[in-house]
Amino acid sequence: MVSVSNTDKSLEKINIIKLLIFLSIFIVITLVLILALILPSIKHYRVYKNEYNTALFRKVKVQNILNDRVKELKKLQLDNRKVFDSFKHKFTEPEFVLFANKFFNKVTLKEVKKSLHKKEFKVYELNVTSTLKTPVNFYKFLDGLNHYQNMVQADFPIDLKSNGKVISATFKIKVFGLVTLEK
Amino acid sequence: MVKYSFIEPRKKHLFSTFSKIWILFISFISLLLIAFGIFLLIKIALYKKDTVATNNERVALENQIDKKDNYMEYLLRQKSLGEEIYSRNTLLKDSMKNLFDLVPDQITLERVIIKKDSLIMYGKTPTKDTFNFLLSAPLKSIFSTSNTMFYLTKEGWYNFVSTNKITTTDGFSE
Repeated sequence: MVSVSNTDKSLEKINIIKLLIFLSIFIVITLVLILALILPSIKHYRVYKNEYNTALFRKVKVQNILNDRVKELKKLQLDNRKVFDSFKHKFTEPEFVLFANKFFNKVTLKEVKKSLHKKEFKVYELNVTSTLKTPVNFYKFLDGLNHYQNMVQADFPIDLKSNGKVISATFKIKVFGLVTLEK
Repeated sequence: MVKYSFIEPRKKHLFSTFSKIWILFISFISLLLIAFGIFLLIKIALYKKDTVATNNERVALENQIDKKDNYMEYLLRQKSLGEEIYSRNTLLKDSMKNLFDLVPDQITLERVIIKKDSLIMYGKTPTKDTFNFLLSAPLKSIFSTSNTMFYLTKEGWYNFVSTNKITTTDGFSE
């Protein structure tokens, strides 16, 4: 009886030619894939990774600059709050008369003109007529202007007239306000 | 059915085990390389996308910096003008104080008009010399021109009008 064996002997008796053919096919396919796909991709990958890293570095740098600006801005606002608040505060005549009455008697205001200063600040000019007992009150008033809730500048002409008992004072004030608020 | 062979027919495979192993190995390696290639392509696409997004974010941040810079300049202009106003008020106060301190007790001021570049004073003085020595001299040292006119009163005193002018651009500040 002839034994019939289905066993594949290809692993036991390796065909060198076949092996070389498969090895060649393997090397060719691998080389083609590496040269055609992997190497260009790695090259592009490096280029785009570098581009991304550069972009990220620039962004971080700009972000740091922005953070510094925000800090500077906050410090500026905090250090000069009085000045900025004075520009923003809406000027009203009754409030100013109330303030001026601390130094003068019979204060009256008369609007002279409205104009712009350097296109950014609106200037409201008023004539102040008042009476006072001593010039010291006028000095105190000028001191007080620097602490007033609005940005007010006492201006020329200043006319002080004495009738022996009281001094009548007529002078101009300029109230500065903001035209627009930029953020 | 008539048999012509002593052995049973064997199933003939297209590929031997050796070939199958090789084909599988080559396929596996190829798939691995293709998968790696696809992975790289995906990463490249992601980097491209992230780069564009990062650049856009940077541009947005730069715009924010420009806005902050403009706002800061605007605030600095406010600060500068505010300080100028405060300093003018203080200067005006000091100038007026100095002016009234100049006037000796013998001389009575009835009216003072202070303008940007001039000072006009009306008042009474017992004698012309009192005015000239005690008030006119210091005024002349401050102002560029200083003229005084005297009018004799019934009481024997003199009414005076002193007009003083400054020609410098700074105006009245002493």
